[in-house]
Amino acid sequence: MRSQTPEDTKLLILPTHLVDRLRAIATRQGVSLSSFAAESLEQALRVDEMDASLSDAVDAYRLSEIQRGAGMVDVPRSSLNHLIEKLYSKKGEDLKRVWGEAGRWYGEYLRAKLKPEETLGLLEKELLVAWNLDEAEIRGGETEVAVRWVSFTMTAEFTELLLSYLSAVMDALGYREVGRDSLRGMATLKYTRIGVS
Amino acid sequence: MLAADEELANKVAELASRRGLTVRQTVNDILEQALRVEETGISLKEVVEERWMLEKAQEIGFTFVPEHLLYQVVDAAYGQGGKQFSDTWRGVGRWYGKYFSAKTDKPLDAFNEAMGLLTFGASGFSLEKQKDDRLAVTCVSERFTEGFTEVFSLFIEGVLEVLGYEVSDREVSKGIIKLKLSKRR
Repeated sequence: MRSQTPEDTKLLILPTHLVDRLRAIATRQGVSLSSFAAESLEQALRVDEMDASLSDAVDAYRLSEIQRGAGMVDVPRSSLNHLIEKLYSKKGEDLKRVWGEAGRWYGEYLRAKLKPEETLGLLEKELLVAWNLDEAEIRGGETEVAVRWVSFTMTAEFTELLLSYLSAVMDALGYREVGRDSLRGMATLKYTRIGVS
Repeated sequence: MLAADEELANKVAELASRRGLTVRQTVNDILEQALRVEETGISLKEVVEERWMLEKAQEIGFTFVPEHLLYQVVDAAYGQGGKQFSDTWRGVGRWYGKYFSAKTDKPLDAFNEAMGLLTFGASGFSLEKQKDDRLAVTCVSERFTEGFTEVFSLFIEGVLEVLGYEVSDREVSKGIIKLKLSKRR
């Protein structure tokens, strides 16, 4: 923090219980209570500039950790689209199989990493943020799940591969696909819990 | 009571007003949430940084894919592709070069920042500005396949070409990209 004169500062009133917790954590980190609080306020303002909330930022952080742990990399969508278009006519089925295998692995990874009640929420966020879709929604409960997603820029080939990937993820999470309606960049999928009739 | 920098306090007051809350409520809410994050052993700064990076990645049209899947697909296409395939990766690089040029006054810095996203966890990337408008670019990853290393180097070249640089020295082999570039006169 820059050096301050008393004229540069304002006093903020905090409840005692909050001050005690702030002091405890500031001491643990070896910084003053004021520095810790100022850093927190600055970070909150940064998040606000992104039109987000701190809890949204925490969710994004968790998602990134999981993605990193699962060996995901970030690539320009246009390059990936080109690759897929180039290969799809000759090796479409092979690609679907490979994407399905990757999805299955990722589903198992999520199962191992998260509590069952957390997986679908994270998957929805992943579709939206990591796969950069324009809309994604996963709704449902114990026995039935509906997935809907939309991308205005996705190619037909990419759509097919993402469908293979996603259904394999869901399969690994214990859901069998029972309905599919898809067009380029758009899909509505229905799943039932495996073992539930 | 907590002494806060006046500028910071004013920004918090603006935020409170936008949210229709009092400054006191807003400060308490923020600090309460910050404590909840830090008490789980995560740094709030890292959390916010990660959120920012994800937003940037989305903004510039990136998508996440399993790394091994990307390499498999690239290698398969590279095997079939030849010059047309190489041209496409260089072309995508040029597109990003134009994008960074249009978006910011410091396109080189923006590119460097974006490479932090692109090489997410997988490799070491460095872009060093040297004397006489020269650049040294290094990207190393033990996981890159031969085909991916080649097309990724072409992507980097494509970006820097649009930013006014030409390659003066090029060393590309499996997992290693070393480029030296100078400003085009």
